[in-house]
Amino acid sequence: MTPIPPPFTVTVECGRSSACFHLAGDLDYNVGDTVVQQARRHLVDHPGLHDLRLDCAELTFCDSVGVSSLLMIHRHAGAHSVRLHLDNRPPFLQRLLDITGLQQLFTHPHIAQQAE
Amino acid sequence: MASSRENTADQTSLWGLAPYPVIMADRSGTVLAVNDAAGVLLKGAASGVSMADVAPAWLAEAHRDVCVGTVPATRTDGDRTAPASVSGRIAANSFEAHPSLAPDGSVVWWLVDDTDRRLAEEALATERERTRFLSEASNVLLASLNTGRCMAATAQLAAEYLADVAVVVAPATGGKLPLARAVDGKAAERALLGADPSDLPGLAEALQGFPPVPSRWIDPAALPAWALPQDFTETIGSVVVTPLPGHGVPAGALILLRRSGSAQFSENEEVFARLFAARAGAALSAARLYSEQSAITQTLMRDLLPPTLQRLDGVEIAGGYRPAGAAEQVGGDFYDVHPGIAATDASLVVLGDVCGKGLEAAVLTGKIRNTLQALLPMADDHERMLRLLNGALLNSYHTRFATLVLASVQRAGNEVRLRLTSAGHPHPLVIRADGTVEHVPTRGSLIGVLPTIEARTVETVLRPGDTCLLHTDGFTEARGGPLGDEMFGDERLRQALSECADMPAEAVVDRIQMLASQWVRNGPHDDMALIAISAPHTHHLSAVNGHTRGRYTA
Repeated sequence: MTPIPPPFTVTVECGRSSACFHLAGDLDYNVGDTVVQQARRHLVDHPGLHDLRLDCAELTFCDSVGVSSLLMIHRHAGAHSVRLHLDNRPPFLQRLLDITGLQQLFTHPHIAQQAE
Repeated sequence: MASSRENTADQTSLWGLAPYPVIMADRSGTVLAVNDAAGVLLKGAASGVSMADVAPAWLAEAHRDVCVGTVPATRTDGDRTAPASVSGRIAANSFEAHPSLAPDGSVVWWLVDDTDRRLAEEALATERERTRFLSEASNVLLASLNTGRCMAATAQLAAEYLADVAVVVAPATGGKLPLARAVDGKAAERALLGADPSDLPGLAEALQGFPPVPSRWIDPAALPAWALPQDFTETIGSVVVTPLPGHGVPAGALILLRRSGSAQFSENEEVFARLFAARAGAALSAARLYSEQSAITQTLMRDLLPPTLQRLDGVEIAGGYRPAGAAEQVGGDFYDVHPGIAATDASLVVLGDVCGKGLEAAVLTGKIRNTLQALLPMADDHERMLRLLNGALLNSYHTRFATLVLASVQRAGNEVRLRLTSAGHPHPLVIRADGTVEHVPTRGSLIGVLPTIEARTVETVLRPGDTCLLHTDGFTEARGGPLGDEMFGDERLRQALSECADMPAEAVVDRIQMLASQWVRNGPHDDMALIAISAPHTHHLSAVNGHTRGRYTA
């Protein structure tokens, strides 16, 4: 008997120029597309957005489709000139980004310096 | 007695107003009174004539039975019991006749026209029968996703309920018409004929999905011989051709035939035949889509299944693959071994994982394997190979990616030199003969999404008893264990591998696969692929001094 994992949820917190998506649960094959669609809609509906933050504090798992979704959101964000941040990365996500060579993609050292 | 007669007269005038025919006769069968409605219905009915002369036989007989008292009293009128009602036809209509016994023994027959009710009941029974048939048809038709069996079932069902003979014609394939013909609900015969659908008026149109041609427009004499079952010799009286509508495209046509003795198709029956055709068409086109899809999957599978591996130049290479679903033999994981072009060239081992699963993943897998094969001449430069592969896979509409590891394998005496490059893939592991497990620190970006990628090649040497293991994350991410939701994890894999020191490559693969199977048991898991590369277990020939490169047993 396999225990059923808690459902994946996205809670959106929306400011004037930034939005935060709190991701909780397993970001995998079953939910990847939904998150991408949600992010894409948000980008379209909020043209004034500068920063999109994905809060990963409560993320429990991310598979290859999950990574692909993050890349797709990154691509959409780039198309809207919105900076994408992956905040509060759990160790497994940090490791996954490390192995897949995506570490640099989701950090914006130059932009961060400018913001300061 | 006189007052009774007056009463009767009053009642007679009252009956005259009654909307139902009423006729009263005495025990000898002589009519005593008839109301106006009965006078209209029963020609010549009047006081004094015999029941047998004016009433239909069934009513006259019922009257005799009631008078003799052989009819059991089953109807209750208030506190009196009355004989049972009878029913029958008078002219074109159907009537129920309810008898009442007068005190003097004469019988009053109250006739109620129930033609409409009967028609409604018959219509209801027909509709129920049709609904039952349609639901049975759906069950039978949806039970098979095989196009041929689905056509045969359609013909058989149609020949059982709708017509004497039914022929299902599928759109022509390769100039031939696939047919299924059934007679009287018996099992259908199937045939593939070089026939021209325009031989039968309306058939070519039905095969293109045009609306059905009414049966009265089709001359049974125009029926081509191929439309009839082979041993059917009777003459056909009426023909209906109905399209079988599919999902957007016609799935075929249904020809319904009745023998010349049978009733012609009514408009109502043709409408019903179309209802049936809609279901049959949906089932047929589902079967066709399915068979097309499974043909595609099989074609892909033939090309995508992992190769069987063997010793290459004395180097043992073993591979194992367990797809996520038993039904999908092709998944997102893959491996390949390309022997070097010349005997002295290194062989290239590739193991990778494509994001996602199913057909889309399989297509991307095929693309990667083909591209890498084409890039083999530059296998000595892994980074360049990966950059070119990345460029070939980049596109703007999705971010599906692959992670892979390249290993160039070259035997040097009893050692194996490895050049390993990971492109976003879990690190290769090396199990030394003493049981230590090392990470090979190669790293690089995943392939297929980023405009520029990085990759770093790392070299290592396998000595006799050492094994290098390339694996996909299906192993480390497999959930299972005692609680069912724990991941197998890197640490458990390292632990398991340290126990595989000095084992042949094949044994390492078997051991890890067995552990993974035990871990996930019957639970869901991702694809799992692994390759083990072992240095040959050779013995330095003692005839040689042991310091030169010398000779070894293979």
